[in-house]
Amino acid sequence: MFLELRGVTKRFGGLTAVDHIDLDIEDGEFICFLGPSGCGKTTLLRLIAGLESLDEGAIRLRGSDLGQLPARKRNFGVVFQSYSLFPSMTVARNVAYGLVCRKWPRARIEPRVAALLDLVHLRGDAGKYPHELSGGMQQRVALARALAPEPEVLLLDEPLSALDAKVRESLRGEIRDLQKRLGITTVMVTHDQDEAMEMADRILVMNRGRIEQVGLAQDLYWRPTTRFVGEFIGRLNVLERERWQALLPELGGDPGRLFGIRPEHVRLVGAGEPSNGPVGEGTVRKVAFLGNMTRLILEAGPGVVEIEVHGPLRGAEVGERLRFTLPGEHLSPMAADPR
Amino acid sequence: MSLADRWSLRRAIDGDRLLLAAIGGGATLLLVVFVILPLWGILSYSLITPEGIGFGNYVRYFSDPRFVSIIGNTFEVSVSVTVATILLAYGFAYALERTRVPFKPLLRIAALLPIFSPSLVQALGLQFLLGRNGLINRTFGTELDIYGFWGIFFADLLYAFPHAFLILSTALAVGDQRLYESAQVLGASAWRTFRTVTLPATRYGLASAVFVVFTIVITDFGNPVVIGGNYSVLAVEIYNQVSGQANFSMGAVIGVLLLFPAALAVGAERWVSRHQHASIGAQSVPLTPRVNRRRDALWLAYCLAMAAALVAIVAVVVYASFVRLWPYDMSLSLRHYAFDVQNGITPLWTSIQVAFVTAGIAVVVVTLAAYANQQLSETWKRPLYFLSILPAAVPGMVLGLGYILAFNDPAHPVYAIYGGLAIIALCNVYHYHAQGFLLATTNMKQISRTFEEASSTLGASRLATLLRVILPIIWPSVLAIGAFFFMRAMVTLSAVIFLITPSTQLAAVSVLYLDDRGALNQAAAFAVCIMATVVGFLLLTQAVLRLAGVRNVSLIR
Repeated sequence: MFLELRGVTKRFGGLTAVDHIDLDIEDGEFICFLGPSGCGKTTLLRLIAGLESLDEGAIRLRGSDLGQLPARKRNFGVVFQSYSLFPSMTVARNVAYGLVCRKWPRARIEPRVAALLDLVHLRGDAGKYPHELSGGMQQRVALARALAPEPEVLLLDEPLSALDAKVRESLRGEIRDLQKRLGITTVMVTHDQDEAMEMADRILVMNRGRIEQVGLAQDLYWRPTTRFVGEFIGRLNVLERERWQALLPELGGDPGRLFGIRPEHVRLVGAGEPSNGPVGEGTVRKVAFLGNMTRLILEAGPGVVEIEVHGPLRGAEVGERLRFTLPGEHLSPMAADPR
Repeated sequence: MSLADRWSLRRAIDGDRLLLAAIGGGATLLLVVFVILPLWGILSYSLITPEGIGFGNYVRYFSDPRFVSIIGNTFEVSVSVTVATILLAYGFAYALERTRVPFKPLLRIAALLPIFSPSLVQALGLQFLLGRNGLINRTFGTELDIYGFWGIFFADLLYAFPHAFLILSTALAVGDQRLYESAQVLGASAWRTFRTVTLPATRYGLASAVFVVFTIVITDFGNPVVIGGNYSVLAVEIYNQVSGQANFSMGAVIGVLLLFPAALAVGAERWVSRHQHASIGAQSVPLTPRVNRRRDALWLAYCLAMAAALVAIVAVVVYASFVRLWPYDMSLSLRHYAFDVQNGITPLWTSIQVAFVTAGIAVVVVTLAAYANQQLSETWKRPLYFLSILPAAVPGMVLGLGYILAFNDPAHPVYAIYGGLAIIALCNVYHYHAQGFLLATTNMKQISRTFEEASSTLGASRLATLLRVILPIIWPSVLAIGAFFFMRAMVTLSAVIFLITPSTQLAAVSVLYLDDRGALNQAAAFAVCIMATVVGFLLLTQAVLRLAGVRNVSLIR
């Protein structure tokens, strides 16, 4: 395995910020650590970078332990959230910084800096100072600077969250393309689920220092294994088995106490329309028109259910009664929270 | 130990850790040598009696009514000057920050004037104005006697004024317009608004100013020695005992007595500033005072009166330096600038030399101490921080006497530089270490930690980060710290008066000696040279910063 985390733990005083994390990252993979603020994702990234010291566990790169190796000897490229360009240096000198520290000969530094500035489309700005650049440009320089010394791993700590929405969108694609082109193993920390889903090969969802679920974006969305993941990524109706018994399809074995279903998977059944499976009925309490879809809040017997309908919707007014079904193939059994 | 363990141990002891340990350890060691040893010297010397170790000296001190009355005098003058200075400086700062009085920049310069001169210049100016042969008595035929309590009172009031003004105007500069508008809408009168909004918002600045002024006054030597007459205070008494009677043990006792109130005031000031939090949030609306003609006119009258007093003192000194022979021959002349007395002009050059050496050592020592303080872990930084702040509580006279008692011994390693310029410069560095250290710490805090982390992930060692990333960012503030030390070294009198030798005479001390000998005009001329040097150096530094495009660094503290 390329990068292995085994029982990685970090405590700050009485608080366990990262709690026994095990993870394997493959060569060339783009993995995202996703979670709310304070979940430990940034600390985990900083442990990998060597900016924090491990309390327990091991981090291995191609089988060799990184242990207490300080950050400057790891050769990992890091891009920080913001303002990490050295203000007293030009763009070119910022990019060259890691190469100068590694004592590259001058003759090799210049072409390398030029190549990287080309890569991030900033060749013309080599002589400018950071404060003369926009936020998005600064982050592209930071990316070039991190990539210049040919790092083993690229670590991105919320690289886009300080930027405007428009710039953020375009940089997402740019970073992802660059990563694919260079084939560099990349770990990105973010609290933005859209960003994680668009960019990453795999997503690791963290909560309170632990891994909730690791998987492809599709896995996390369609089959969340915990209530936390389901509610963090997109919207979710969480149904307790005892209360919703009558509407749930027959399920064998012991699929757990909770079921989740996405609002767009709840199916409205028109009057007189046939349905397979049990049908529930509820009163519309709220209607929100959101452009390409409409979100309804329905109060049914066992509780409240949220429904999203794409396209035109007629006859849904507050106070009306509507019929719906919960298709069995979209119901996912989940572990209750907290564990 | 297994091979793997040894490998990881060797990696744990890398150059970065060693460098930090060396910087932190070096800074701590220097503080121990140049602050703790002198203090220890004073404390132990005060306990040495002919009958052995004991409190005999203290008993002797407190059974002499003259000594006890000196303690009373010291507190009388310190408390009264503190109250008066705070009231006047608060009013001045209020006028400049909260009203629309005109000429604000000029008034501000007037308020800061005393900072550029040695503390005895105020006393010198008062002599020329109100002394027996002063302008007032000469002109009106009155017989005012300024020597004594009132002389010290006015001189120290003017001397401490700018320090209080700086703290209070910072406190009054920020305000939240919304609070004042709310008070107005709720029908509060101007006085009520002041009591319920302005005063509470500035209470920390006010407390801080009180303690700072108290410390300045109780430890001041220059003004009371010139104008105190028979009204003796502790700082002068320590000098009389040591220089006049070579009574070192009594000097040490007074030193310890002087240490307590100063230490308490500094401790209280630190406590207050720790409990001070930002009262201005991101949503606050900055306060812009509105025009109110009657109010502004009244405040302007007050400010002009205050500024007149501050300017008059300096102006009369400058004037006297050009007068042929005060008060008998008031014709103008340049003869006092010939400096044909004593060592001539040499002390001024010595002072400038000392000031440069002081500034040079101080920027390195103080910047590295602040750097180590920022980088070290909680456990290790605590002793360093304590030692760095400690000198604020040590009056100059006490530190200077401590240097004699600790280092005037051929067996001591520091004796090698004793009697030279270096020991004077080091004494200045550690006398003002706390202020310099706090300035440097503030600068360090402004550098985002991310710069260092980015640098280390790019493969830079600690030294490379310090030299290539941190220094290029903080150099203007480092220069400002250098200017601060230069200024202080030029005007300080208290600590160094014990360390000078005939060959290392300093300008500020020359002013004192000339005044003592009655050569008032020459004393004034020397004082003018000191002020001109300080102002010239500040202007030069300001020009360098402007040329480099730096605008937000303040040189006056």
